[in-house]
Formats: sequence, C-alpha cells, structure tokens
Amino acid sequence: MEPLLQVRDLKVDFKLRTNTLHAVRGMSFEVREGETLCIVGESGCGKSMTSLALMDLLPRAATRSVGAMRFGEVDLTDRRAVRRVRGNEMAMIFQEPMTALNPAFPIGDQMTEAYIHHTGATGSAARARAVEMLTEVGIASPEKRLGQYPHQLSGGLRQRVMIAMALMTSPKLLIADEPTTALDVTIQAQILRLLRDLQHRLGIAIVFITHDLGLVSRIADRIVVMYAGARVEEGSAAEIFGSPRHPYTQALIDCIPQPGKSERGAPLGTIPGVVPSLVGDVRGCAFRSRCPVAQPVCADAVPLRAEGGHLWACIHGAKKDETERAPA
Amino acid sequence: MPIYLAKRFGLAVLVAFCVSILAFALLRLQGNAAGALAGEGASAEDLAIIVETYGLDRPLIVQYASWLGDVLRGDFGTSYFFKSPVSDLIFDKIGNTVILAIMSLTIALAISIPLGVLAAVFSGSWIDRLCSLVSLLGQALPSFFLALCLVMLFAIKWRMLPASGADSWRHFILPAATLGYYITPPFMRLVRAGMIDALSNDYVRTARAKGLPAHRVILKHALRNALVPVVGLVTVQLGLLIGGSVVIESIFALDGLGYLAYQAIGYRDFPVLQAVVLLLSVVYVVLTLLSDIVNAWLDPRLRVS
Ligand SMILES: Nc1ncnc2c1ncn2[C@@H]1O[C@H](COP(=O)(O)OP(=O)(O)OP(=O)(O)O)[C@@H](O)[C@H]1O
Ligand code: SF4
Ligand SMILES: [Mg+2]
Repeated sequence: MEPLLQVRDLKVDFKLRTNTLHAVRGMSFEVREGETLCIVGESGCGKSMTSLALMDLLPRAATRSVGAMRFGEVDLTDRRAVRRVRGNEMAMIFQEPMTALNPAFPIGDQMTEAYIHHTGATGSAARARAVEMLTEVGIASPEKRLGQYPHQLSGGLRQRVMIAMALMTSPKLLIADEPTTALDVTIQAQILRLLRDLQHRLGIAIVFITHDLGLVSRIADRIVVMYAGARVEEGSAAEIFGSPRHPYTQALIDCIPQPGKSERGAPLGTIPGVVPSLVGDVRGCAFRSRCPVAQPVCADAVPLRAEGGHLWACIHGAKKDETERAPA
Repeated sequence: MPIYLAKRFGLAVLVAFCVSILAFALLRLQGNAAGALAGEGASAEDLAIIVETYGLDRPLIVQYASWLGDVLRGDFGTSYFFKSPVSDLIFDKIGNTVILAIMSLTIALAISIPLGVLAAVFSGSWIDRLCSLVSLLGQALPSFFLALCLVMLFAIKWRMLPASGADSWRHFILPAATLGYYITPPFMRLVRAGMIDALSNDYVRTARAKGLPAHRVILKHALRNALVPVVGLVTVQLGLLIGGSVVIESIFALDGLGYLAYQAIGYRDFPVLQAVVLLLSVVYVVLTLLSDIVNAWLDPRLRVS
C-alpha cells in the first residue's frame, strides 16, 4: 500500500553570516495510514524543523530542499497544494500549549474558524462540531469552555483543546511536536493515553516527535532515531527496543531511567560528549566523537544497512543475509 | 471585570483630585495672588478690594474648598482679558478642538496601521523601508509647511476645501490631515514593532498551521494583539492634541482650546489658564480610564488581575 506520507532527502538550511547551518541533512521517512511514527533525538537535532518543513511553516530564515515529499496524492513541495491540506487533512499540535493559543480570542472562536474556512460550515454547525471534539478529548462541560479564554485553562486542558482543534476537520495525519514536554508527568501520561485512544478510534496516523525515548515505547508503531539532522536508525518499536543496531540508539535506551534497576542515587543517564556543530559539512559519521565503538573508517561515508524494514547507518551490525544500500 | 474597573475608576478619581489641588496651587501659591489678579500697577486699595472679594485672607484649605465647589458647579471665574466667564469661553472653543483632535487621530490611525502592518509583514525589505520613509516624512516636514502645501493645492488651486474657519466639517479636513500626518510616525513604529512581535508568536504559527489564509492570520491573530499598546498611545496623543494643536489652530484660524491657551499665556490670564490646565488633566484621566477599558477588551488576561 502507498504510504500516507513520504519524505525523501529533506534538507533545511539556515544561511549564517559566513557559513551555513544545516539543521536537517537529508531526512527520509514514511508514515503509513493509521500508524504512529515516533521521531526521537536529542534537543537541537532538527526534529521541529523536519515537522515544520512538512507543513511549509519553517521560519523565514530557513531554506528547504527536498527530493520528494508527498502526502497521499498531494505534492507537498507545491505551496498552493500544501495550503489546501494544512490544518485540514494534515494537522499539527505544538510543544507549548501555554503560548500556542491566541490569548485574545475565546476557545470556541479559535476552534471553529479553520473548520468554517475549510468546510464552509455555518457557525452553529461548527460550534456543535467543537463541542463534539471537546467531548472526544475528555473535556467536561464543553459548551462552557467554548466561551473561555486560554488563560482560564490549565496547561493540560489547553493541550487537549489544541488536540480537539486539530481534529475538527478529521485529519488523516496529526503531527505532534513534543506535545507533552511542557506538561507534568501525570498530565503527560493522560495526554499520551488520549492520543493512543484517538488513534484507535479515529484511525488517524500520528507523527509523534519527542526527545524522550521512554515515552516512545508507550505509543510507537515505528521509530525514527535522528541525530544531527539525519536519520541514524529506523524500525518497528520491537526492533528498536529489542535489537537496536546503532550505538546512538543503544545510548538513548541506556539513558531511560528503569524503576528498580538503576542504583539508588546514581545520576540519570546522559550520553557523554556534545552534539557536533550543525554548521558546515559533516564528513563521515556524525556520532563519531561520542561513539564508544568508533573505528577509523567511520570518518568515511557510512553505509545505510537494512534488515527488512529495520534500517541503520553504522559500520557495525552487518550480518550475512543483509543487503547493503547506498551510503547515507 | 467589575473589580478591575472599580479599581481603575478609584484611581482616576484620586488622580483628578490631586490635579485639582495643583491647578488651585497654580494661582494661589505663586506668592502674591492678589498682585497677579490685579495686574501690574494696581494700587494698595485695589489689592485690598481683591483680597476682600476673592477671600484671599482665608486659610488655604478653606479657599480650596470653596474654589473646588465653584469648579464642580462649572464656575471657573471670569477671564481677565476677555472679561467673560471662563466656562463660556471654554465651552465655545472645546468643541472645535475635540473635533479636530478626533479627526486627526482617525487620519493618523488610518495611515499608520496599514503602513505598520505592511512594514512588519515585509520587515527588512524595501517595502518596510518605504513605509517607514512615508511615515517619517510626516514628522520631518514642518507642519506649517505641509499645511501651506495642502492649502495651496486643495483650497486655492482646486478649490475643493475651505482654507480657514470652523463653520462646517469640511473646514476641519485640511487641519486634521496636517495634524494627523504629523503624529503618524510614533503610531506607525508602534504598530510595526507590535506586529513583528506578534507575528513571531506561537499562536500565529498555530493559526498558519490551521490553514487560515494569510490575511486572516495577519489581520486577525497578529493585529489584534499588536493593537494593545497602540491604545495607550492613542490616549496620550489625544490628550496632547486637545492641549496642544496651537500652531495648526492658528494657521487655519480654527478657534479652539489650543489657541485660547496660547492667548491666555500671552495675557497672563490666570483663570483661563487654570481652567484649561484642569480641564486637560481631567481629559487625560478620563482617557486613561477609557484606554484601560479598551485594553481589557482587547486583552482578556487583564480582566482578572
Ligand atoms: N531561526 C533559526 N536560525 C538559525 N538556526 C536555527 C533557527 N531555528 C532553529 N535553528 C537550528 O536548527 C537546529 C534544529 O532545530 P530544531 O528546533 O529542529 O531542533 P529540535 O530537534 O526540535 O530540538 P528541541 O528538542 O529543542 O525542540 C538547531 O540546532 C537550531 O540551532
Ligand atoms: S559509524 Fe562508526 S562512529 Fe558512527 S555509530 Fe557506527 S561505529 Fe559509531
Ligand atoms: Mg523542537
């Protein structure tokens, strides 16, 4: 079956005064209908720029180049076409529920305006739809909420409103950029459960972006691990957690706090070393300076290895039956 | 909301009260009040009569109370120069000034909001620079020069509008255009800065992510928030306009409050001056209160605090 979303060789650059910052360096991935794809990576590795590039929402300073980018039948490199699907078949929610809603307008107005724009519905039909969606995301007394302003809601409620707003037009794809990062742990768990629930009930595909691999295990069907603007490993949740192939993925897994397992008082795991600068070109494997199993050949082009749908970009992990693909 | 407004109102009353003390002090505390009232070369007898009629020998607090009582009844005394009740003078002229101020402000907003929005949306480009230039010209050109140009074109050459007087609304167009253009730059800068700030906000990204057309994103989501500080400036400018359009009022022989205050200073006409000061201060206080109300409407977050 054709994937719902297909991205090939996406690049996002920022021109600096004397140099260029390559925030995204040739990302490729696919999302199938109704599945949850998680994109995981440390802060600054280009997760947000990747998702904004899909929606044509990059900051003005950014330039984008892309091999191919399709959403169903729609060519996402065509700006006019993007405007038709954005906020309609393809919706997005963001990290900061505190600032993502406009403080000057009531919730109801913000929820209905895009629905009216996309569907041509009447105001009262749109409000009925908003009530339905607020109920769907578990908000009590939805009629009352429609008249309230964002500052009257808690962070968790606002994120629910954001989700309800994104679902107004029954999108096929929801892109969620760290939707729970700004929330405390209990609320975070509730929102995750809600997203998983909605997906089962409504059959939407979700691209869930996070820096927290611990969260990913709870919702992901498939996982893309990102490092320094590029995909370093991709596979099903079972493959990534069961047999991670890339040393970076392994390091991320080791950082997940395990209740009962970690010694008392031991510091939370972090990967030693620093993320390489994204300015200028990177030769060879970007993870080299932090990799415990690096070899001299890692300074050359690194192969992208594949085992079924499980992909990784590392010199290690080769087995007999595996096919070698073009270098990443 | 009611608590917020009650607080603002209480504050306004307090400020008005303080201003009234200052206005009172303007005349009474300048040392020799009777001398100031009588004018130069008054005899000792004249002075005594003045002290008697105005009750200047009473304690200040009593004088203040009786003066305030008069003022609250609308009695500001008699003008030394015009020899008529100050309240009549002001009543005659304030209408012209207020009309001029409101028309100027409307024109200023009509120029500066579109220019500011355009400049912000295309910030850093030649459109931005052009908009800034157009608005800055308003301040750089001396207002009398612009006034003369407008009179030459619209009144003398094309005979479309009257050049002087205050008989109909058409008489106000040229002075209001001059004054409005003159006060455009601060509004334009504020709109531009507010829009640039608003456009970089997360809620604007949300609005775009929802697929709203660009004009809705800019004119609804960003502009609404960018206008909050503009309301404050409107207040200040309206106060300044009511108090200080002396030059324009003189050029266009538009007999308003600014012109009256100008004359009162020249003739040392203290009762008139006192009344004008008091009136302008109260106008200020009322405008500030109004701007608080408008701001509460524009920015719902203010309503709770
Ligand atoms: N406006 C900008 N100008 C220059 N560089 C930028 C700009 N915005 C982002 N970047 C750079 O692009 C890189 C990727 O940023 P991005 O926001 O995609 O990271 P992220 O993975 O989403 O991180 P986080 O977990 O912190 O959200 C960062 O290294 C950042 O320095
Ligand atoms: S390619 Fe080399 S440096 Fe990169 S992750 Fe693999 S072993 Fe480490
Ligand atoms: Mg991010």
